[in-house]
Amino acid sequence: MSTTGTAGTVKERADLALNDDFLRKAVRFTTERLRNGKKKASEDHGNWDDWRERGRQIRLHTIAHLDYYLNIFTENARANGVHVHFADTAADAVKVALDIAERKQAKTIVKSKSMVTEELHLNHHLEKIGIEAIETDLGEYIIQLAGETPSHIIIPAIHKNRYQIADLLSADAGETLAPDTTVLAGFVRKKLREKFLEADIGMTGCNFAIAETGSMVLFENEGNARMVTTVPKTQITLMGMERIIPSWTDLEVMATLLPRSATGQKLTVYMSGITGPRRSEDGDGPEEMHIIIVDNGRSLQLGDPEFQELLNCIRCGACLNACPVYRHIGGHAYGGTYSGPIGAVLTPSLQKNVGEWDDIANASSLCGACYEACPVKIPLHDMLVYLRRRKVEAGHGNKIESIGMKGFSAVMGGSKRFRTILNLGKLGQKLVVRNGEIRTKLGPLKGWNTYRVTPSIPKKTFRDSWGTIEEEIRNGLQEMDPAVRSRMEAAVKNRDKGGHGHG
Amino acid sequence: MAESQTHQQWLDELEAASRSKQEKFMNSIASKLGRPRVMEAPKHPFRGAPDFWNNFEWSQEERVQHFTENFKSAGGHVARLADMEAAKQFIADKANEMSAKYIVRQNQAELEALGLEAALPDASISVWNSDPAQSWKARAAEADFGVVMADYAAAYTGSVTVLSSKDKGRSVSLLPTVLIVIIPLERLKTRLGEILPDFDRAGRASLPAGIHFISGPSRSADIENDLTIGVHGPGIVYSLIVG
Ligand code: SF4
Repeated sequence: MSTTGTAGTVKERADLALNDDFLRKAVRFTTERLRNGKKKASEDHGNWDDWRERGRQIRLHTIAHLDYYLNIFTENARANGVHVHFADTAADAVKVALDIAERKQAKTIVKSKSMVTEELHLNHHLEKIGIEAIETDLGEYIIQLAGETPSHIIIPAIHKNRYQIADLLSADAGETLAPDTTVLAGFVRKKLREKFLEADIGMTGCNFAIAETGSMVLFENEGNARMVTTVPKTQITLMGMERIIPSWTDLEVMATLLPRSATGQKLTVYMSGITGPRRSEDGDGPEEMHIIIVDNGRSLQLGDPEFQELLNCIRCGACLNACPVYRHIGGHAYGGTYSGPIGAVLTPSLQKNVGEWDDIANASSLCGACYEACPVKIPLHDMLVYLRRRKVEAGHGNKIESIGMKGFSAVMGGSKRFRTILNLGKLGQKLVVRNGEIRTKLGPLKGWNTYRVTPSIPKKTFRDSWGTIEEEIRNGLQEMDPAVRSRMEAAVKNRDKGGHGHG
Repeated sequence: MAESQTHQQWLDELEAASRSKQEKFMNSIASKLGRPRVMEAPKHPFRGAPDFWNNFEWSQEERVQHFTENFKSAGGHVARLADMEAAKQFIADKANEMSAKYIVRQNQAELEALGLEAALPDASISVWNSDPAQSWKARAAEADFGVVMADYAAAYTGSVTVLSSKDKGRSVSLLPTVLIVIIPLERLKTRLGEILPDFDRAGRASLPAGIHFISGPSRSADIENDLTIGVHGPGIVYSLIVG
């Protein structure tokens, strides 16, 4: 199901995205909402930087001792009755998953959200051997019907409006469904209820794995991950090898950082810790449970001083919401499983072939907003610079200046709105690269290629610039269909009242 | 039987393969990190929340107030009740009001003592896992109400915690349309940090298969950011704080 363009360059894909009016507006609206939700949640919570620092320390510590923690996780999970498997590559992981499915003579697999299975294109492989793999997260179900891939790590169907969704679901239902959110969600609830109850296998990702007890933890709002881990007889969990934390005590820090950063919630509706298959006397839960621990390029970052911190990522999506480029071009333009600033760094790092992805790193503004947003303080903007440097060193670029912001400005050149942001330069708002010497870009579009070295700029520079970007988004909202706009505005109002406007 | 033996053999083969791969996997991590394998538990100086947080505690009334605010703002309902008799009355009234016909409850002494069967003679009330011949997932899936006791609750995040066991189905808090959770007041804590470390102290072998934190009704904002309640899990959730 990887139909969404790995063809062409980021620029070509971005042109498509920029031409899609709804996409641009929806992405901007949603990311603004998530970003403001996060801002409010982190401010309300207080001492946010202390928590970020704690989160970073826990992740750094775990990754620095990953062999120890992953090993005891494995031993403990096995003692709980879990079948643990190791996969060096995507192909290895697919093979194990297909083996289990074939052994179980599975006809259908219900899945909850898992970026790792997207990475492996697992649905596609299951389909090839005649197994129906059903995404059960509402947004994932919608894009699966559309034959597309997620465009946002938290809100996968961010790019579809409810008319498009009504068309897709009507075709699925065999009757016309009104483009009304309640009707559409109600249809999916009913349809998937049956699927949960008849599925042979439940398949999940893993937000965190607790080394000391061999437990796996899932965060979600809909309850589909609970369904998938409660109802079918067999559970298969795909887990990136770096998802480990030492203890339940450490989970408090992750539970504080992840939901607030992802959607602005104090906690997701469900946080589930699953420790092995059902006990023999239990009345529900899977009888057989498999965990597939996946490397697939992750270990390339181990011991690499410039990129090891990528393994700290908790996949919250805050860097996407903060990124002015993502907000304009949407997720599909990145052409990989992971989009936004984290995707721009992670995709080439997982792939080992820097050259092929060199335009992704260019589709980033190096403004530092991703670092500021990141709950575990991953210096993504530094990494983007390292990436560009490595490409140059590997002979994939001419010289650093020629790479510079060219890709980015070319991508953005067609967007009138983006010029407002580019004009930040004119206003003297400098976009920052944290890399010892700091390159800034001044002036309008053509100036984006020219770098010069200036002294360090205080952090607040980029925060100041947000005022302008937000204003620009508000203007964008005025061009929307009035009905969509009023509903979205109501949602924002509701959220401001402390209502339940969060994902 | 022959088939299940084959399956067991297959699982054994997988385990042997996994164990031999495990060594290589861990050794390769250590070598990429540029050091020998770490075999002893390393010092973990930053375990858990920052120190200032661990001293933070609300009074009982503050806990009730904050739990109520948080749970409601997530779309849930909260009632503060004097005793279990009041809880019984509350559940019976709600069941009558919503014409609930099928109720499933956990097999727990406190819930047994409620006497819901007598209070709701017209409803069909089933007790989780009380009869091995029943299809319990189906009973939970058809239920209008699921009734459970909370093992813990946390005011700061507005969450209740339920642990699974033979008598406490995971489905009971998941499949029914309406979920009713009874929280004995003394189980309502301030922070998650007063709950989670219990699972470390209990240790692996004592943990239940499912530990679930529930912070309101099931929800999604996947269609045009329009909040929808009750996507897969219960759309209506009542927390009854008793005591
Ligand atoms: S890099 Fe940081 S902000 Fe981005 S998804 Fe990962 S944890 Fe979240």
